[in-house]
Amino acid sequence: MSNSTIVENLRKEIDSFSSQVRAEKVGHVVEVFDGIAKVSGLSDVKSSEMVIFPNGETGVALNLEEDTVGAVILDDFSKIKEGDEVKATGKILEIPVSDNLMGRVINSLGVPVDGKGAIKAGKDGMQTYPIEKVAPGVITRLGVSEPVSTGIKVIDATIPIGRGQRELIIGDRQTGKTAIAIDTILNQKGQNLICIYVSIGQKDSKLRKLQTRLEKGGAMAYTVIVSAGASLPAPLLYIAPYAGVAIAEYFMDQGKDVLIIYDDLSKHAIAYREISLLLRRPPGREAFPGDVFYLHSRLLERACRRNKEHGGGSITALPIIETQAGDITAYIPTNVISITDGQIFLETDLFYKGIRPAVNVGSSVSRVGSYAQIKAMKKVAGTLKLDLAQYRELEAFAQFGSDLDESTKKQLERGKRAVEILKQPQYAPVVAERQVTVLYALTKGYMDDVPVDKIKEFEEGLLNYAENNAKKFYKEIIETKMWSEAGEAELKKTIEDFKGGFK
Amino acid sequence: MANISNIDIARAIYLACKDNIGNKPSFLKDVVKFLARRRFLYRAKDILLNLEKIIHEESGTIVAKVKSARILSEETKREITHSLKKLYSAHKVLYKKSMDENLLGGMRIEVNDEIIDLTVKNKVKKLQEYLTRKV
Repeated sequence: MSNSTIVENLRKEIDSFSSQVRAEKVGHVVEVFDGIAKVSGLSDVKSSEMVIFPNGETGVALNLEEDTVGAVILDDFSKIKEGDEVKATGKILEIPVSDNLMGRVINSLGVPVDGKGAIKAGKDGMQTYPIEKVAPGVITRLGVSEPVSTGIKVIDATIPIGRGQRELIIGDRQTGKTAIAIDTILNQKGQNLICIYVSIGQKDSKLRKLQTRLEKGGAMAYTVIVSAGASLPAPLLYIAPYAGVAIAEYFMDQGKDVLIIYDDLSKHAIAYREISLLLRRPPGREAFPGDVFYLHSRLLERACRRNKEHGGGSITALPIIETQAGDITAYIPTNVISITDGQIFLETDLFYKGIRPAVNVGSSVSRVGSYAQIKAMKKVAGTLKLDLAQYRELEAFAQFGSDLDESTKKQLERGKRAVEILKQPQYAPVVAERQVTVLYALTKGYMDDVPVDKIKEFEEGLLNYAENNAKKFYKEIIETKMWSEAGEAELKKTIEDFKGGFK
Repeated sequence: MANISNIDIARAIYLACKDNIGNKPSFLKDVVKFLARRRFLYRAKDILLNLEKIIHEESGTIVAKVKSARILSEETKREITHSLKKLYSAHKVLYKKSMDENLLGGMRIEVNDEIIDLTVKNKVKKLQEYLTRKV
């Protein structure tokens, strides 16, 4: 391009520029500390409105007081001085969204942090979505009826999750909470479900490992990661889940199904406690502010399944809560348990006993998911949850082995095998038809005479054998989600044939 | 008892003065005594600022902080006064003037928490934002 063309273009651009002068609302920084700024003026500012500091730093007005406005600063606050001018924008905090977010790692403000360059605008250009939005109303909603297949046997069989559900994953540190979330993402290949993973206050190394794992499994093609690492100031941690759900809403508005994982909301509550205490809001139980329930309820209420008339699509939320020494009666765990539609409870004891995923089936529950379970799974897993719960109770009596009656002994033996079958290594999701095959063999008693230490071997062998010999049954499960009599007969024959040759 | 804000105290003082109670010789002393008793003396500066605001509001006066690159002519000042009176429905305009050559030209008027920026510096900044915008 020649110099004259550049000058000509510049001239055209300048000619098309028109600046309108209008009165702008401003305030002045009275004090600034720990990521919080007290600002005088800004009389018409709204709650959660974006404000701009002189060097371009963004803030959010949270505390609207008589003389001052308390704003949290979302960027580096070291350059903000007392007396600096603060401008109101009239806009609620929003983040840029587009289809090109898929496969990217962004921060709470929508800025990419994966070193892969700027996020390009999608087909509809670059849109912005507000991070705070009122959840869809009753009229727009639809009951949960489609499953989210996690690929984890114990969850799909006993605590099924439906699209649009909110299922809490709760447990102590190092019990495999994130592993469940990651396995669920990995299992969504070809399932038409977009995944969003929101990391709140996690170590950057953990997130990097997770991203590599997802890339390896080909899951980043349908996944967006929102990262608010432990090194970032509390305000960025506070807005991260809302940014994540704003992205989810963008995809849901296109009629798509979305799965969002908040890892974890305990750290989110702690970040909010920090902000609230700095804003001098009165502390309540465990020093959390009074509105900590609303903090999570308004976030999780945005998970929903919308009916066709209102655009369709769904947001399934899997919030994670970390408990301290298994105490689920602490403030935040009880709050989130009451908000969600069930919980997957992970226990340290089970984890160290080698039962992984360490799901305590007795304490775990899914309030709406069973409506979404496929028919075949419902049939094979119908009594599994009860059987397992009874087995746990009877387990205590196991030491009196010889004094037990025949039916109790049988129940114990079945329970032992069920526990063994439900064990599953990490990053190895199992598809629905294979799950049904194994659970069918278990619940119909085909495994009762297989020694417990050979159950895994039996399972593996059966699945490989069925792959080639129960094709009709597999096809039926995939297509109709249920088996016919002929399919069942084929499966029975397959299991019997395999068992005949199993030593 | 609920917290009494600075504006509440300032308004009370204003209303007392208006109702002739303020003419009592001991009035000022009483106000200071009240502030001392409630341990509000540290808020005196803010209370006075609020009182000033209330007095201006009630008397239809506005305070305009005008920052310009050069000294304003009487003609310009008259024009500004006319416009501001119209814009804010005010009877009287008080000025706090200052000079700043960095503004390059034009002026910047601040009334309450509103700013009307007519400086060349601001225009250049807006042009820069326009030319470097994402297309």
